[in-house]
Amino acid sequence: MTKILSYLRDLRHGRTVVIGVPYLWFALLIAVPVLIVLKISLSEMETTSISSMISWADGWPTLKLNFSSYLFISGDTLYVQTYLSSIEYALITTIICLAIGYPFAYFMARSPKHLQPMLLMLIMLPFWTSFLLRIYAWKTLLVSNGAINNVLLALGIIHEPLAMMNNSFSLLVGMVYSYLPFMILPLYANLSKLDLRYLEAAADLGTSPFKAFWLITVPLSKAGIIAGSMLVFIPAVGEYVIPELLGGPNTLMIGRVLWDEFFSNNDWPMASSVAVVMILLILLPMALFNKYQSEQAEGKA
Amino acid sequence: MATAPKAKAVREDLLRVEGLTKIYDGAVKAVDNISLTVTTGEIFALLGGSGCGKSTLLRMLAGFETPTQGKIYLAGEDITHLPPYKRPINMMFQSYALFPHLSVWENIAFGLKRDGMPKNDINDRVESLLGLVQLTKLAKRKPHQLSGGQQQRVALARSLAKRPQLLLLDEPLGALDKKLRESTQLELVNIIEEVGVTCVLVTHDQEEAMTMASRIAVMSEGSFMQVGSPDEVYEMPNSRHVADFIGNVNIFDGVVEVDEPDHVTVRCEECVHYVGHGISGNTGMSVSVALRPEKILLSKNKPQGEFNKGKPQGEFNWCEGEVIEIVYFGAHTTYHLKLASGLVIKAQELNSTRDLSCGLTWGDRAYAHWSDLAMVVLTQ
Amino acid sequence: MNKIFSKSWMIAVYVFLYMPIITLVVFSFNDSQLVTVWSHASIRWYHVLVHDRELISAVALSLRIAFLSALLSVFFGTFTAFALNRYKRFRGRTLLSSMASTPLVMPDVIVGLSLLLMLVSMQQWWGFPERGLLTILLGHALLGTAYATVVVTSRLREMDGKLDEAAMDLGCQPFQVFKLVTLPLLAPALVSAFLLTFTLSFDDVVLSSFLSGPGYSTLPMVVFSRARLGLNPTINAVATVTITVVSIAVIVSSFYQSRAERKRKLEVAQAYSDSNQ
Repeated sequence: MTKILSYLRDLRHGRTVVIGVPYLWFALLIAVPVLIVLKISLSEMETTSISSMISWADGWPTLKLNFSSYLFISGDTLYVQTYLSSIEYALITTIICLAIGYPFAYFMARSPKHLQPMLLMLIMLPFWTSFLLRIYAWKTLLVSNGAINNVLLALGIIHEPLAMMNNSFSLLVGMVYSYLPFMILPLYANLSKLDLRYLEAAADLGTSPFKAFWLITVPLSKAGIIAGSMLVFIPAVGEYVIPELLGGPNTLMIGRVLWDEFFSNNDWPMASSVAVVMILLILLPMALFNKYQSEQAEGKA
Repeated sequence: MATAPKAKAVREDLLRVEGLTKIYDGAVKAVDNISLTVTTGEIFALLGGSGCGKSTLLRMLAGFETPTQGKIYLAGEDITHLPPYKRPINMMFQSYALFPHLSVWENIAFGLKRDGMPKNDINDRVESLLGLVQLTKLAKRKPHQLSGGQQQRVALARSLAKRPQLLLLDEPLGALDKKLRESTQLELVNIIEEVGVTCVLVTHDQEEAMTMASRIAVMSEGSFMQVGSPDEVYEMPNSRHVADFIGNVNIFDGVVEVDEPDHVTVRCEECVHYVGHGISGNTGMSVSVALRPEKILLSKNKPQGEFNKGKPQGEFNWCEGEVIEIVYFGAHTTYHLKLASGLVIKAQELNSTRDLSCGLTWGDRAYAHWSDLAMVVLTQ
Repeated sequence: MNKIFSKSWMIAVYVFLYMPIITLVVFSFNDSQLVTVWSHASIRWYHVLVHDRELISAVALSLRIAFLSALLSVFFGTFTAFALNRYKRFRGRTLLSSMASTPLVMPDVIVGLSLLLMLVSMQQWWGFPERGLLTILLGHALLGTAYATVVVTSRLREMDGKLDEAAMDLGCQPFQVFKLVTLPLLAPALVSAFLLTFTLSFDDVVLSSFLSGPGYSTLPMVVFSRARLGLNPTINAVATVTITVVSIAVIVSSFYQSRAERKRKLEVAQAYSDSNQ
């Protein structure tokens, strides 16, 4: 024990430990699992276990790769369609969130300073309450005998209930609803730091407020737009709970397919291949996000 | 305080630095082969612009940076590789770095507690330090409840608490506004002299260095340009860089014409300088003549040679030009004079009466003249 | 005109965010079996809730996991934030920061699937760990670590690195620096990181579904399986209880935070006017 303590007391060893501990933690729980998924996606499903990938032939290890599930995914139009529609839904969600969230964050950053903490808290508060329960709430609102239809019918605006449930509408409402705070928070963080003197300088040089907004505010908030969009888009591509509760038979989302392959069909290699393809799809947006994160870190240091 | 160190019985070398070098990323030389000695009781200032290496040097003395090469000795003992927490050296940080979660009292006692000093002794020590910096009444406050000047005094008390052999001051007055700085400078030096601690001080402010330090090292690009007392560095700069860095200066380029033991003359395009002392150089050598603005007198009429000490009248130490700029500072006024060669020189005139003494205005022709002991001949 | 537009925009967004929550709460006091049709006010579903064995044991499990996961998350998150902020240059820094931000954005299904497949492989080799509390805990702690890292990092960046040096200069060894200076200053951030990761764990359904074993159903798993089947008034009651607890906690903590902040500002102003006299 004392030996360990005196070891830790040395400055250089302290550094090794401080870096080593989180490294091991994430390597074990992120890097290794992703590699295992990659491995399983390339193996064959046997009755209970995964076939061993390395076989010994003539004393040499030979790698046995099985691309059958990938071939199946790329050959099957249903999979391809599901990937495309996942990306489409995620993209539409991102655009709607940006369209609603950007003006909101902008107005919030311009509102009286003493109100801002409260406004911010009101955005965060739903985030602290259960995501699942809030999605469930939409279900009760959107069903044909739900609150919204009841109110509209009672007001005489419509004469028969609108079909708002189990289709792309309900899916998008749920997605926008859940991810809107993730768009607003980075945008607000960025816009509230924007130096108003830039806008004053622009006005001083004869720029109209509208032009100043496009020429100064928007370019300067680029980092916030990228961060917010990535925080919405990437998880939205793989979303499972929302399509399961609010989507319908025609709203194809890849997260649901993965879930079904795994839990209903018990096809682990297939589920893994679906996951690997999904990772490849979001790799570029992820890299963008990471670049933004590290730029933020360097900018502040 | 601005005078030369008071003569004490014996002055010992306290800090000795030998060939200290710090290289970052294998290429950037932040500190380049510096050697220096600081004697007990001295206030030694490292003066230079940002990025000159003064902070890196100070951080190596404190132990926050490991030197790439060289040695640091404190009272004869090699401390080059001693970690900061084992060095009998304390530092007063730039913008103070007071612990925000601790009170004034706890901040000052922090280092003493780490040494395991008995409680009563800590109490006595902290009380006397609080008295020294006149903060006894504020002992229970947190740093954010103090003004800038008070925070500065807490930082000083905290760095003195362990009675370090060497006190390091990193831009000690940098965070204060100008008015407060002057009074604090005096106060700081008085406290340091009362305690009798040896100091190494880092600053980019030449006035701060001149008023506080007994010796100044002017630094640039990781090296010492000149080390000397404040008046030496100001009146006898050894290079254009030092002359230029400390105060304002007019520089004339010329060639040594007469080289005698008791005087030299330097012929420049603008005028001929008669310098009333000998230099280490020889006839025909290219030199620069540095002349401080406050040592130049201006007149509307051609000077009568009273500065030439009986040498042929009107031949030396004057030039003529056009007033192109007048900058009024209140206590003095600086005139910019454009000479025939195109060189613009600055002359500073004391405003000894309320009507501006020279009566010069924009566009006037004016004569500048100076004494034979006003300038410095720079050979590099 | 502009003001009216911006105000109505903001109000509309808040209505959009709060409408579902408010309906949930309102209909939890509805006596009818139907979640969407109001009959009359009662606390019938709260009685049902209290006697629902499955729900109660799920709550107990969720609380246990959330507490442990928040502890682990804050522990590893603090390490990660330190490694990334205090050591600007080391080999593999980019890899570490990428791995640390991966759980923030990576879809839950992928994180859940990959963790499960790893745990299954481990089990095949070593017969350990059995799927259950521990495996769910690992998943939640992974997710929580990523979030805790963000929270602690933002506090560390605000903190003056000079304070560490000052402590060292006054005789602290590295570990003492951490204990006496860094930790006390970091404490508020650690508390918020704990609360955040606790909530994340208490809320998660996807990771738990992948990682749990027989007999280990967390509250969200039970809620989810019931919500899949249709609308159920007990869920409204569960929601109302959770929302009430969380809202009170968040409002109280932010009230204290803003009060402390105001007090501090006042004291700073006081210090300056004192010294000018």
